[in-house]
Amino acid sequence: MIIGKIIKSNTHTDYICQVYGPGEKESPPAREDYAFGTFVGVDLGEGRRLVGIIYDTMLFNPDFGRMGPRLSPEAELAVFSPDYLEEKAVLIGILAVGMVATSGAVLQGVPPLAATSDALVEKLTDDEIRVFHRGKPALQLAYVPLVLAQKSPLALHLLQTVIDRLVSLFPEQAGLLSIVKSDLAWKAQIGPMGGVR
Amino acid sequence: MTIDIPIGLAKGPGETPQDFTFVSPDRGQTLKVGEFITYEVEADGEARFILSRIIDRQPLRLYPDAFLAEPEINPDLVANLIGYLQSEYELFEITATMIGYFDEILGGFINPRLPPRAGRPVYLASDEMLARLLTKKQSNETGSAQIGSLLSRDLGKVPIILDVAAIASTHMAIIASTGAGKSYLAGVLVEELMSHYNRAAVLVVDPHGEYDTLADMMGNAHFQSVDYRPEVRIFRPGEVKVRISAMEISDLYYLLPNLSDRMMWLLGRAYREVSKISRQEKGQPDRWTRGELEVYLHQLGEGRDSEGEDGSSKGADYASTAEALNWRLESVLKHSLIFDDFKHLNLDELCRPGRCSVLQLNEVDEKEQQVMVATLLRRLLKARTQTVKKQVSEGDELYLPYPVFVLIEEAHRFAPASEDAVSTRVLKTILSEGRKFGVAVGLISQRPGRLDADVLSQCNTQFIMRIVNPVDQARVAESVETVGRDLLRELPALTKGQVIIAGEAVNTPVLCRVRKRHTRHGGETMDAPAEWLHYFSAEEQDRFERSKALPAQRPRDRKSKMFKE
Repeated sequence: MIIGKIIKSNTHTDYICQVYGPGEKESPPAREDYAFGTFVGVDLGEGRRLVGIIYDTMLFNPDFGRMGPRLSPEAELAVFSPDYLEEKAVLIGILAVGMVATSGAVLQGVPPLAATSDALVEKLTDDEIRVFHRGKPALQLAYVPLVLAQKSPLALHLLQTVIDRLVSLFPEQAGLLSIVKSDLAWKAQIGPMGGVR
Repeated sequence: MTIDIPIGLAKGPGETPQDFTFVSPDRGQTLKVGEFITYEVEADGEARFILSRIIDRQPLRLYPDAFLAEPEINPDLVANLIGYLQSEYELFEITATMIGYFDEILGGFINPRLPPRAGRPVYLASDEMLARLLTKKQSNETGSAQIGSLLSRDLGKVPIILDVAAIASTHMAIIASTGAGKSYLAGVLVEELMSHYNRAAVLVVDPHGEYDTLADMMGNAHFQSVDYRPEVRIFRPGEVKVRISAMEISDLYYLLPNLSDRMMWLLGRAYREVSKISRQEKGQPDRWTRGELEVYLHQLGEGRDSEGEDGSSKGADYASTAEALNWRLESVLKHSLIFDDFKHLNLDELCRPGRCSVLQLNEVDEKEQQVMVATLLRRLLKARTQTVKKQVSEGDELYLPYPVFVLIEEAHRFAPASEDAVSTRVLKTILSEGRKFGVAVGLISQRPGRLDADVLSQCNTQFIMRIVNPVDQARVAESVETVGRDLLRELPALTKGQVIIAGEAVNTPVLCRVRKRHTRHGGETMDAPAEWLHYFSAEEQDRFERSKALPAQRPRDRKSKMFKE
């Protein structure tokens, strides 16, 4: 499922994607397709792609704050100014946490390659998520330190969401994941209330 | 010297000028506190390997606590999960203190105060290097005492060999809690002293009667050579006597209970008088008997003595005092196992090279033990002093031409910290002057906190075993200067048979594992439950039944009866 395209990046690993709106695609993505913590792939060409996690959502509305008179009433905008309607957009922040090479080899962590503008962003399937996380001897979450290093107030919650998702995909690794999950839960839920580590 | 693979790289200075730190992954888990390492520096114009001892070890990397939350899951797996794929993660910052390089001419370590430069390799000191440098002697050499091997190395790899000459001149102390193995260690030491390469004159003061197993040495080929066989003499309680007249007046004051000033004055006067009479009549001042002292006291009480010291006779005033003194003298000395009118310690019999005399005092009153040890030590010192100064010659009672080593168990009884025992003074004299005359003491105590601090601090070789009591630990720390704080921190953690040796007999303080004794150990703790169970054994019950049974009656002699009829 293609959910949008890259329109901007803040850093080598931090991308902004504009979600396809109504009319742009035959079947635009549903809200669940670009939910917080969703794994996405960003096309790099030649069969390669970045793997990222949706860590933020922003609504873009150029009309907000414009206090001047309108030429057309809002109900008639679609007739008189259709372009203006298209300037409203849903933007999502994607943190690149790895890469899948042409050969299918998986790299977790900071990807060596960057995406380009207009690169297509696709929601990963469950199987693709499994392949990305499969490691030896257990599954791999080598991007955890990278996520935590973002210093985002949502980083802990993002990882909690990711781990919940992985528990459902790797039920046999639930015990191992619970250690990380428990630590994150303590830091995210109890830490801010003054809990001591 | 053979150079091994480096075990770490120098990092920088430590907290004190003698300390430095290095970083090591310690893959072999060898870098324990007390272990020896070495590094190379240019010192005094030569490249030298500086021996150092590890005093602290801190991890530089630790897993977060959360990784250890699930006991069944290895934290390595959690680390692996979040992308840490290294097979090893441990890294340590090790702090070591410089000892120095060994100067063969001076026979000791010289500390050049040059820590390794940052980034320079640090090596584990080889067994050969340690065997050569830590101790002053080689195995089976005259004057050597191999009492065990270095604790941090495999059993027997680095033998710890003491310098017997140092022990036999500057004294030693064995300090340990009950059950840490101090009697065992003392046994090992006596075995070494009695070996054919030392042939020492040893006297053991044994208040518990647990050194009689040393007699095993006599039949043990290990101790013998072509021209030598050690002799062990066990003196049971009462077999060694102290002549009453050999006691000093202070000994009598100490022995007799509740003496008033008046009694002390009267006793002192009688003591001086009988000594004077003895000198006049027998040529020696210490040849009087208890009976003579009592008679003289009685005379003093009746006013039949020669005139008082102040020129006036006050006999009538002293009658009750004299009788009270006589009563005390009789109650303490008459039935004593130790004191006698005529028999006396025969130093030549007690102390002779190749002979170990064990003085068992287990049935003797504690005060009498103190007086006996005081008398014995005083006499030994006097004999050695007069012999060294050539004031006596062969045939004289006090002629003792050999140095003597006296091992005193339960030393806190003889030099207590809290009271002034008669033996403390003479022990202090021996500790300060014995070196010149060849009288050395080895003190053994399980309560260093109750041992006189001056006495302990003058024992220049220390054997310190496990000590848990904080008061005892503090006493050791204040009295034993040669052992570093790092080693003293190990005291509560030492296990049976592990000992810190420091002082004159070794080149640097070492942690040692005591070797196995060649003779049986006599100080083993009784296994009470086993003894109780033994009571119910069929064999023991049979024995009881037999002992309780009435004697069998003789069959009647029918013949004789018949004849009577």
